[in-house]
Amino acid sequence: MQYRHVATIGGQFKATLSGLAIDAHGHLYAAGDSEIRVFDSGGQLRRRWATSRPVLSVAVAGDGTVYAGQERQIEIFDASGKLVRTWRNQKLVGRVTAIGFCGDGVLAGDTWDRAIQRFDRDGKFLNTIGKDNPVNGLLIPNGVVDFGVDATGVIYAANPGKHRVERYTEGGELLGHIGRFDGNDPAGFTGCCNPTNVAIGSALYTTEKAGPRVKAYDFNGKLLAVIATDLFDTTCKNMDIAVDRSGRVYVADTVKLAVFVFEPVKA
Amino acid sequence: MSADVTRRDVLGTAVRGTVLAVLGGATAFLVKKANGQIVWQVDAARCINSRLGENGVAACNLCTTECVVPLSAVRAVNEHSRCGRCNICPAYFNITSAVNEHGYPSEKLCPRDAITREPIGKADPEDPANNFYEYVIDESKCDGCGKCVMQCKEPLGLGSIKLRVRYDKCVNCNRCSISKACPQDAVIQVPVGRAIEAI
Repeated sequence: MQYRHVATIGGQFKATLSGLAIDAHGHLYAAGDSEIRVFDSGGQLRRRWATSRPVLSVAVAGDGTVYAGQERQIEIFDASGKLVRTWRNQKLVGRVTAIGFCGDGVLAGDTWDRAIQRFDRDGKFLNTIGKDNPVNGLLIPNGVVDFGVDATGVIYAANPGKHRVERYTEGGELLGHIGRFDGNDPAGFTGCCNPTNVAIGSALYTTEKAGPRVKAYDFNGKLLAVIATDLFDTTCKNMDIAVDRSGRVYVADTVKLAVFVFEPVKA
Repeated sequence: MSADVTRRDVLGTAVRGTVLAVLGGATAFLVKKANGQIVWQVDAARCINSRLGENGVAACNLCTTECVVPLSAVRAVNEHSRCGRCNICPAYFNITSAVNEHGYPSEKLCPRDAITREPIGKADPEDPANNFYEYVIDESKCDGCGKCVMQCKEPLGLGSIKLRVRYDKCVNCNRCSISKACPQDAVIQVPVGRAIEAI
C-alpha cells in the first residue's frame, strides 16, 4: 500500500498545533494556540473559536459536540463553538493531550497521571486505563498520552517508552500489544520512545519522532505502509494524527505548524 | 597663568589614557582569573553536540582531542531531573545496531563503557521494558567525546546529557586549547557563579 501527499493546511497557527480530529462530515478540527479551527475537506477554514486556555487536544462526538483538552480542564462546546460546559477535577483532569469516545464514555489522556481517564457524558469518573502495571502508568518521556478507539470499543494506547501500542478494554484490562523496538527495520519503532501518537481507521496509524515518520499497520501489528518520512521538520515530535472515513490521513507538524494530508494510492 | 595646550599634549594624554585603561582591564582580568573568578565552561546552546537543530551529524570530539588534561577536563553529565529514564536510551545503546534476542540493540554507544544503568522503582522481572532506568555516567571513564550528548539531544532524547568542564580537572589555561579549536566558540569564559549554576 502506498500513500501520496495531497494537501498542506498551513498559515493558520501562531505557536502551537497540538491536536487533530475529524467529524462525521469529514471536517478537520485542529487544536492549536488557544483556538479550535475547523477546516472543510478542501482545507478551507470554515470557523474558529477561542478556548480559555491553550488547547492540547480535540475530539468531536457523533452529535457534533466538541471536546477540547487543556491543562486542568476539558472545555465542551456545541457544534457552533458555544461553550456549554467545563469539566474540572483536581485529581483526574491534569494535562489532557488526547480525547476520544468509547460507547457512552469519554476518554481523556492525562499526562500527569500517565493514563487514560474514562468518564460518562456527564463528566462522572468511571475508571482509569493504563495504570495497572508495575510502573503505574504509560511510559511517556515525550509528555503526551495518545490513543485511538476501534469500532468494537478496543482502545489502542501509545506506550512509547515500551515501543508499543497497547490494547485495552474500556474497563482497563490489558488485552495485548503490537510493536517492538527496531532502529533499522521500519516495521519497528525507533529512538527512545515511539510511537508518540496513534489513530484508528481501517488500520492503525502511528507517528514517530526523530526522524518523523508516519506508518500504517494492520491490527495484528503487520506494517502496511510507511506513509511519509520527509515533508516534516526533522525536529518535530508529538505529531497528532487523524484519519477520515475515506482513508485520508492528516498529520500535524508541530514545528512547521501545518497539517499534511495523505491519501492512499489506488492500485 | 594658563599654559597653551598643544595638539601633541592632547594626543599624548589620550594615548596614555588608553594604555592605562587597557592595562587596567588586563590587570583586573588577571586578578579575577588568579582569584578563580573566571573559568572555562561549555555553552550547551553553542556546542554542536547539544545545540538543537543539529541532527544527523557526527558528534564533535574536539573536547577529547584538544584538551591538555588526560582524558579531558570536559565530561558528559546527566541532569537526572530531565532524564526520561527510558528503557531504550539512545545515549546508552547504539540504537542502529542489530536487535538481539531480547529485543534490545546489541551494542552500547559509549566507546569507553562509561554509562551504566539500573532499573529504579518497582521493577518488573517478567518484562524489562516495563521498567524505568537510572543512567549514571562514570566520569572517571568519560573522555567527553560527546557521542552520548548528540544522541540524547531533542528530539531523539530529552537533552538531559550535556558536556561540562569539571573544575577538579581543568587547569584553567589562559588560552584553553579546546576553546581555540572549537569551531562553534562553545567553550567560553564565564564568572564562577554562572559556571556553578550551569553544573
